[in-house]
Amino acid sequence: MDGEMNDRVPGWEPRIVAFLCNWCSYAGADSAGVGRLQYPAAVRVIRVPCAGRINPFFILSAFQKGADGVLVSGCHPGDCHYISGNYSARRKFALLKGLLEHIGIEEGRLQFTWVSASEGERFASVIDTVTEKVLALGPARRMEKRYT
Amino acid sequence: MRTIARNEIGRLLDGLLAGYAVYAPVRRKGILVFDRIRSGDEAILDYANTRTSPKHVLMPQMETLLSSCGEDPGVSEHTDCGKPAVLFGARPCDARAFLFLDKVLRDGQSRDVYYANRRDSLLVISIGCTQPRETCFCTTTGGGPLSAEGSDILLEDLGSVYLAHVASSRGAEFAAAHGLLDTCEGEPPGSGTVNGGLQPAIEPPVDLGLLKAALDRSFDDPLWLTLAEKCLGCGICSYLCPACHCFDIVDEEAAGVRVRNRVWDSCQFSCFTAQASGFNPRPTGRERYRQRIMHKFNYCIDNHGMAGCVGCGRCVSECPVNLDMRQVLAAFGGRRGGN
Amino acid sequence: MTDCTARIREETARLLAEGRVDLVIGFEEGSLPLRATPCFITEPGDTGRLIWNAFCSNNLARYLIRSDRKVGIVAKGCDTRAIVELIKEKQVRREDVVIIGVPCHGMVDPHEVRERFGDIRIQTVEDTGGKLVAGDGTALLSMNREDALHRSCRVCVQRNPVISDVLVGEEVEERTRDEFTDVADFASRSAGERWEYIAGEMSRCIRCNACRNACPLCYCSKCFVDETRPQWVGRGTDPSDVLSFHLMRVLHLAGRCVECGACVRACPMGVDLGTLNRRMSADVARMFGCRPGLDPGKPAPLSTFDPDDPQDFMLEP
Repeated sequence: MDGEMNDRVPGWEPRIVAFLCNWCSYAGADSAGVGRLQYPAAVRVIRVPCAGRINPFFILSAFQKGADGVLVSGCHPGDCHYISGNYSARRKFALLKGLLEHIGIEEGRLQFTWVSASEGERFASVIDTVTEKVLALGPARRMEKRYT
Repeated sequence: MRTIARNEIGRLLDGLLAGYAVYAPVRRKGILVFDRIRSGDEAILDYANTRTSPKHVLMPQMETLLSSCGEDPGVSEHTDCGKPAVLFGARPCDARAFLFLDKVLRDGQSRDVYYANRRDSLLVISIGCTQPRETCFCTTTGGGPLSAEGSDILLEDLGSVYLAHVASSRGAEFAAAHGLLDTCEGEPPGSGTVNGGLQPAIEPPVDLGLLKAALDRSFDDPLWLTLAEKCLGCGICSYLCPACHCFDIVDEEAAGVRVRNRVWDSCQFSCFTAQASGFNPRPTGRERYRQRIMHKFNYCIDNHGMAGCVGCGRCVSECPVNLDMRQVLAAFGGRRGGN
Repeated sequence: MTDCTARIREETARLLAEGRVDLVIGFEEGSLPLRATPCFITEPGDTGRLIWNAFCSNNLARYLIRSDRKVGIVAKGCDTRAIVELIKEKQVRREDVVIIGVPCHGMVDPHEVRERFGDIRIQTVEDTGGKLVAGDGTALLSMNREDALHRSCRVCVQRNPVISDVLVGEEVEERTRDEFTDVADFASRSAGERWEYIAGEMSRCIRCNACRNACPLCYCSKCFVDETRPQWVGRGTDPSDVLSFHLMRVLHLAGRCVECGACVRACPMGVDLGTLNRRMSADVARMFGCRPGLDPGKPAPLSTFDPDDPQDFMLEP
């Protein structure tokens, strides 16, 4: 089963949903753009007001709708625009990540990180790493909802 | 041949697999359910009854009624039910539930084409009971362990052999085609056999007529509150019931395919009657539980001449709080029966 | 055990007679062998219905939600853990509940008993403490009580009531330190194997919502599965929707689940919800040092945070 997932599917381009905090990571993505840094085009960015805004169902929903990977990126600890949204979110993320891996969603499908507004380079390398992992895993079919 | 040996059943089913989708009792991780079989020896013959009822053969928990795809504006209707099917090994109570579902969904004012198409291409071979479970009460609702209602062929279990009773003209054709000719014409199941007269001891029946009369007078009875107090409001009783048939219609979209689905629903859920305005005519468990009992034992008798319950006992055995419908019936029937 | 029954009846009669409560929620004899059923006593004369035995497995705290009466409640360790959480979450006022606490020896799973004794038609079950002796009217068969316990009872760390107003029966020794070895065992399988297992379990779910409705901590007046705008999760048995429902149920109970196992016991299809619940409990205990329901003074782990919370799971590119 795992082996099957690793097979490269011809013509497949990974689709990665990135939930980015408006105050840091979203600006970090801008900063990467302004700096003309190259990174893979596999991500579809969704801007959120804070990492704390993420309902775990957003993430499950992305997988249900066919995302091959999901990235959530917020402000570094201590830097939250709303003081502690990222701390609260960190607890939720830890539990969600553990639970998804427990049921057999491969490690690497779901990633969390911190990127500040000035870290364009870090943003580009996060996307590199995430894309690379998802590419290695292949298409995500386990949670995808489809009617045939 | 009017009997079939128990060890011949596998071969009989194998013979059917070429022309029919065959459903039979199988074990799925320890739980007995009716499911498609791929080989005759998968069918389990030694069982009291399945955990879920076979109603999903005629009315799947989720079925697509309409769909459309991508940019194509066309809509396809999913009324074709595919291969004709055989349901093998239904208990008489479950087969009798089809009779009830037919009245509601096929033969009544409106014809549910999805149900009707499946029903018209389904042949029901039931197996009479020799050992009732402690939760059985089929005799209360007008059935019995050897009732052939709703079946096309009833097999009477004589131990190492089954005696075949043809119960419908389709059953007769099928029996002729498969060497199950019934030669005991006119002899009802249970007569003149080693099991003759053996009507297993089943829960003493509640008089349905008296019960219905009592329910007619009981809409506002304070007893409903007491009875429903421990009900959790889950859908186990509805979803395991062979006769419950309420559904919801939902439109969904996934991966470019848009579907209109029918899914089971339960009158025990608070959102079952919730209206867009926010008003809910059945706001608490009291109204919802009353609806369940009234629908089955009062309204169905008025509308279809038959109770919406066949006494299979699944709701009794699986209720997480042991809310036993037989006690509820007795509370009304028993208390008011004499008036 | 029978002592407990007598004491529960006595206390109930007293609470009702003194007018301290309007109602006592306990257990009475079920309609089937191996079953007890919740009962609601309002008259001192009815206390004879109350019993205590090895089948009092429902979590009665579930009935405290949205109650507008003063309630007496018969509560095992896990039931009191649920009450503690309900009080913390302001769903129940401590002064509106009188807890008749009962130390618990673990509740017996009827399926285990039936599995063990096969096809016999059990009419009586005697609980000797160490053994369960089942009779079918002609013969007696016995099995170890421990082997018949519900899965949640086998890993229970709180058999005595956490809080109570009256304690009925002798306190029992808390016997296990829960190391979550079952969670580690499952996690040691490959991702593919874990997925196959979970997908297989989920395939039996019939979406009856019994797991949700039996749970003492699932009290939202409108559950996310019943929402239609937005529709969080599809209503049918699509495998992806079924799994999403169960994952969200577990996530909503993160740091609140008191590990009573009511959801698992309610499931008519024997779906192994425990594997999901246990992972969540293990992570909450390991990362946030919390076992819900054990400490009335401690905030719920997802309502607070520590700047030094673990973040080794986060991506460092």
